[in-house]
Amino acid sequence: MTATAISTTALTKRYGPHQALRELNLTVPTGEIFGLLGHNGAGKTTIVNLLTTLMEPSSGTAEINGHDITTAATAVRRSIGYLPENVQFYDNLTLAENLIFFARLSGVRSVGSRISEVLDFLDFSGHENQRMGTFSKGMRQRAGIAQAILHEPSVLFLDEPTSGLDPQGVAKLRETIISLNTKLGMTIFMNTHLLAEVTKTCTSIGILSSGTLIYQDSVDATLKSFPDQESLEDIYLHIEAGQRA
Amino acid sequence: MNRWTAVIAHELLCTMRERLPQVLLAVFVGMVAASAFIGSSARASVTGVYSEAVRQGLTTVPNPFDSLSPLYYARNSVIYIVLIGALLAIVVGVYSTLRDRQARTMDLVLSRDVRPSFYLSAKLAGLGLFTALLLAVSAVISIACISVVAGRIISVDDGARLVGLYAVAWLFILPFLCLGMLAGLYATSVTSALLIPIVVWSVTIFILPLLGTAAHPVSLLNPVASPPAIQSGFFAVTSNLVNPLSLGEHFKHAGALILADPQATGTVTTSIWTILAFAIAACVAVIMTRRGRMRSALHD
Repeated sequence: MTATAISTTALTKRYGPHQALRELNLTVPTGEIFGLLGHNGAGKTTIVNLLTTLMEPSSGTAEINGHDITTAATAVRRSIGYLPENVQFYDNLTLAENLIFFARLSGVRSVGSRISEVLDFLDFSGHENQRMGTFSKGMRQRAGIAQAILHEPSVLFLDEPTSGLDPQGVAKLRETIISLNTKLGMTIFMNTHLLAEVTKTCTSIGILSSGTLIYQDSVDATLKSFPDQESLEDIYLHIEAGQRA
Repeated sequence: MNRWTAVIAHELLCTMRERLPQVLLAVFVGMVAASAFIGSSARASVTGVYSEAVRQGLTTVPNPFDSLSPLYYARNSVIYIVLIGALLAIVVGVYSTLRDRQARTMDLVLSRDVRPSFYLSAKLAGLGLFTALLLAVSAVISIACISVVAGRIISVDDGARLVGLYAVAWLFILPFLCLGMLAGLYATSVTSALLIPIVVWSVTIFILPLLGTAAHPVSLLNPVASPPAIQSGFFAVTSNLVNPLSLGEHFKHAGALILADPQATGTVTTSIWTILAFAIAACVAVIMTRRGRMRSALHD
């Protein structure tokens, strides 16, 4: 039986009268690279905010590695890594100074050696003493991944990780995400708009529309289930259109 | 290094790398040193004229500076703390919390095993340490300069009074530090985050004392607190209302008494308790800020 990394039961989030998430039931098995797709305002970031314990749900529950996000938030935080969209970091500090801060906040014991290990893994060594203010968008994203995995989390949340990256940056980040999954065994949950990337990176997908999960399956099964559609993008648009109809 | 000290070390590092606090820091320390230089040159000029008058037999009175306590030369430091020290504290506080919101690093912090109250209190401790170091440096400069001006090392008692002044100064600028942090947490734009606390500062330092004492505006730049208003009519009412809130006047009053200024009267206790109450209330307000507020986005 496959272990479950992420599970939600009737997870709901309301902002005043607006219902951002409606009774979401989602399961992500351990070891998956799960891509959450959806239009702007569909509720993708809300899900990530709830699962990373940054927000509390209005109703329903969710568990990360069996830990409830509300009643065992501390255990959840210890087992996850998170890279928000468009994170900037402390521009006046060097990469090493930024990572040292986040490593210490995460309770990492041998900070120096762990940072070297992570930067080597990400093929990002040599930039430690460079100020973050001089980094390109792609370098920032890699720094973001580095801070997210310093404490060796088992589940990694990435919110629009490829947003604003050039094609080389996207390819490099894809390699990194896949190696985090295959070499370190991390379960990865990512929100994305780039449907072509999902086919190349993710093992399973979910489609969110106006706060409701309307589809979930593996990428392979999805491609087989819609033989008349040419790409995942077509499948996504087809499912979304079906939902609206 | 645990999480608490990690945040403190991080706060010190970030603050020292920011440009505006660096400039204000230089101005503040420079003003403390300049006040000693002005005192020194005033003393040298007056003593020169006095010596010439004595040489020509025009006077037999003692040198007016001989009767002055060495602490007299430090009295202007009080006003520099009220003006530049408090502003520096506001700017440092604003940058501290605004930095996390601008760089969107708050989510990175709060998705770790770090409670909002823990993080904010550690940041506050870091900034408190920064301002304490700043005031300690100013105290050392002040003691050194006064010793040079007075031509002798100041006594232990005078040294203790100066240290006491800077200790109360730290307590005095703590509410402004917190005010800056709160503005950085609650403001919707960078501009308002910087402007709002400066408006509050100017009201506290200038407007409230004017309402309570009818003092001439320029007299508020005097290092000794304004005298109480006449005990009848409009100012008798407003004085009771605004006097507890006139934080700058309380500090000037306490500072003048600590420096044994002959113009200062009364006791230091009420002023210090008032400053302490403000400091505690401001720290509690910062620490109680909620997670959602800390994560809120800026509109610019």
